[in-house]
Amino acid sequence: MANRDEKTDDWGWATAYDDVSGAVAICGVGESDHTKASGRTVHEIVGSAVERAIADAGLQPTDVDGLMHIPLPEQFDVAAFHEYFGTNHDMWESKAGGGMRWAGTAPYEAAPALRDGSATTILNTFGVAWATQRSNMVGGPGESHAQELFKQNVEIPMGWFPQPVYFATVARRHMFEFGTTPEQLGAVAVTCRRHANLTPGAVMHDKPLTLAQYLEAPPIVEPFRKEDCCLISDGGGAYLMTTPERARDLAKPVVEVAGVGLGNSATGAHWAQQEAFTSTPQVFAAPVAFAMAGLGPADVDVYTCYDPFTIHTLMQIEDSGFCDKGAAGEMAERGDLAFDSGVLPTNTHGGLLSHAYVLGIAHVVEVVRQLRGEAAAQVPDAEIGVYGGYTGPQASTLILRRP
Amino acid sequence: MDVRPEFPLPDTSWEPTAEFWAGAAREELRIPRCDSCRRLCWYPRERCRHCDGEQFTWETMSGTGTLFSWVVVTHPFLPQFAALVPFVPALVALDEDPGVRIPTRMVECDAAELGFEMPVQVAFRPLSFEGVTGQVTAPLFVPV
Repeated sequence: MANRDEKTDDWGWATAYDDVSGAVAICGVGESDHTKASGRTVHEIVGSAVERAIADAGLQPTDVDGLMHIPLPEQFDVAAFHEYFGTNHDMWESKAGGGMRWAGTAPYEAAPALRDGSATTILNTFGVAWATQRSNMVGGPGESHAQELFKQNVEIPMGWFPQPVYFATVARRHMFEFGTTPEQLGAVAVTCRRHANLTPGAVMHDKPLTLAQYLEAPPIVEPFRKEDCCLISDGGGAYLMTTPERARDLAKPVVEVAGVGLGNSATGAHWAQQEAFTSTPQVFAAPVAFAMAGLGPADVDVYTCYDPFTIHTLMQIEDSGFCDKGAAGEMAERGDLAFDSGVLPTNTHGGLLSHAYVLGIAHVVEVVRQLRGEAAAQVPDAEIGVYGGYTGPQASTLILRRP
Repeated sequence: MDVRPEFPLPDTSWEPTAEFWAGAAREELRIPRCDSCRRLCWYPRERCRHCDGEQFTWETMSGTGTLFSWVVVTHPFLPQFAALVPFVPALVALDEDPGVRIPTRMVECDAAELGFEMPVQVAFRPLSFEGVTGQVTAPLFVPV
């Protein structure tokens, strides 16, 4: 993680970023099959996504000389790449990749390697088999939180655990501060489901959802209902990066990075103490990315954001400057987030809520497809697309454009 | 992941929060205050997040606060909580500094009667879980 730049009285800060506008292009994207519990391993899942991303670019595995992933042993590292493809060439490797906020910042980390020639063609990869592993995890995806000692000692004993409880608490406060309603949370869920119903490969492709059905369901952590919470999936994705110059010679229309920003919360994963309780570090990340790109929120044609719960979609839309703070619920209720709204098409593949819980890697894949004109719920003439990545303590904004 | 045998009871010997739990055993709500800037610091850290100070003095709070937010859990995310369902995890903002929020549970009340900013006060109650040996006195909260 980058160093804090200066002490501030604010509740968080933006990491200082160099200008990488126009330095990186995404030239290949791929996804595994996304499913409920499948018995697949992370290596099998990510390997299949990587294979598809390389083919999508019109390249061969031996053309890929860089690999990014998260710093966990079971992720798809260089050894796993060589085992999967039967290769043995030297590869630049980085553990600053993966999903969540890293799916947004991986291009920033890749840029110096591309510039100095350490690598020419760099993959960012991520996958999970949490649906298969769920019963062995303490609190499911809450397991990493259960290992944190402040949570163990002052939150978990009180039952303030895991993520559905934290963020339902945030959602209720957002309702108090801004008048957000259950119908507005439901509109987010219903919009994402409609997008998933249109997207081949979405886990909820065959399961429609109406607002009436959403409201009829009992709460599980009031005010959240089941449909306010994302899926638990086996699945993964990958995207391939190179320079825009090299990308022009490859199979697909060029999609280049216009801006990147990274925001940090001073209270990290201790949301109970986060001063701006109903905000995300997009407040700090988005302005940096938009300034780097020379663009503003009004220029954005398609938006994907990390949506473990419906409330995160509303907060990130507000915090990224697409509307006033507290006004995103009204946008959702008006249908402004639909792919065919002409306003702010959001999570056009269905998001974590209805597409697959692969922690944001598929969100970046979706933006690339939208900008190429290859998406299922296609936004007409999409030229500027944004991914809002969220990890909790951090958030990132990645702006992509058709040059 | 391996959990302590007493999980989800707290480890009352874990140094950073030991005084919080020792205070609770005496029915005192104890929070550290920075000696330099005099701000309350929760959760306890090596350095004050407001001024980087490194010296703290634990202080007993009045036990009164306001209800910042809450939820009603009807689905047990941990099996150890199944017997408690439905229960009301909450964040209470302390009167001494509303920026200090105590994760807790609202008890001995009807969840339907809870409201934002309502005055609440600490109620020390034994915390125990089925299948887990031992109990710990914890600062839960009730409406005033």
